[in-house]
Amino acid sequence: MSKSITHPFEELLAAYSAGSLPLSQALCISAHLEHCESCAQKLARLNRVGSELMQQLKPASASDELKNRLLDSLDSLTADDLPEQRPLSTDSSIPRCLHQFIDRGYDDLPWKRVSSDIQSVELCRDSNGAKVELLKIKPGGSATTHTHLGDEYTVILEGSFSDEAGVYREGDFMVRGTEDQHTPVATQDRECICLAVTEGPVQFTGLFSRMLNPLIRRNYA
Amino acid sequence: MSSMTKRSIPSDKLVALGACMTRVANDRDKSAFAELFDHYAPQIRAYSLAREPGSDLVADELVQEVMTRVWLKASSYNSSLANLNTWIFTLARNCRIDYLRRNSRYATEIDPTDMFNEMADEGPDPFQLAQQSRAEESIREGLKQLPREQSEILTKVYLEGKSHQQASDELKLPLGTVKSRVRLALKKLEVLVVR
Ligand SMILES: [Zn+2]
Repeated sequence: MSKSITHPFEELLAAYSAGSLPLSQALCISAHLEHCESCAQKLARLNRVGSELMQQLKPASASDELKNRLLDSLDSLTADDLPEQRPLSTDSSIPRCLHQFIDRGYDDLPWKRVSSDIQSVELCRDSNGAKVELLKIKPGGSATTHTHLGDEYTVILEGSFSDEAGVYREGDFMVRGTEDQHTPVATQDRECICLAVTEGPVQFTGLFSRMLNPLIRRNYA
Repeated sequence: MSSMTKRSIPSDKLVALGACMTRVANDRDKSAFAELFDHYAPQIRAYSLAREPGSDLVADELVQEVMTRVWLKASSYNSSLANLNTWIFTLARNCRIDYLRRNSRYATEIDPTDMFNEMADEGPDPFQLAQQSRAEESIREGLKQLPREQSEILTKVYLEGKSHQQASDELKLPLGTVKSRVRLALKKLEVLVVR
């Protein structure tokens, strides 16, 4: 029996807590955490694991020079010396971690047509080449046009969709591997906007694009 | 079982450090700050050296970054919500992520500032967070009892900052084995049980 999984696996959450996850994947986790109390609780405890591990390390003594330099600098420090974190907002479905790419709202982004059902906009690339984009699927539209060469991480930001395994709602997180022949469909009542991170190039499965695929792949080699 | 239900008593040391935080926050007390430095700077340096052995300059820079944040954010630190040790760990982790991004050979535009919470009063429900502090002792005890192969993998991921793939390469283990060892370790530590 297939069942939909809508939270990140434990080891992924642990890697996020450890800070060892690629930033593109961490974006997805961060977006999910704003919606998910149970993962946020797990994260708090995972951070505690990190803290305990850090305390078990053999301390590496710090020089007096470092200490004095720091103490001398205190009076001149101002809040400008820190990167300022935006407050969490409750009146927007744009997760805090995505505000760096989205100034006003989803509507103002330069959406590009992918298929009759899908539009997309690339937000950025990670240092490992992973693509971070938003996908907009029209109501009742199918998001089936692509599979991919690497894992794909998705978080639903607005709306919902369903596939063979179940229904996915706002905040839901999923990872899909290359063998997944998933056929997600947006629900009829509204369009669906997702954050999607793909590790490899997107591979189109239509007849025409199947012919193009070797080329796409070569470009990434 | 019983360790999960009884309230854990914070160590005297942690209480003393918490008092230092209060003095830094309320009185901008530099001697209290110096006490925090004496305790945490060697830990932060060890954390940095675990990832980059021999890089003393990087380690010093991390101390400077973290302790600067401690000074500037002291007033927003809420001891009833977050364990001080855990707060310092998250600051050190965030500063390290930032440092690595700035010094990476392969640039990315992704700014991590808004991705990792620095304040404990957002995110999980404060009441539940307070309850969780009872689990702290059990995490410490649990870590001591982990089989070596499991604690080794947690060390790689948390302290050396290795991805699962890197850990798999270094330990010459299949990726799936690395992931399942992380999962087994976390299961033993009971950190994934949502109460
Ligand atoms: Zn979740």
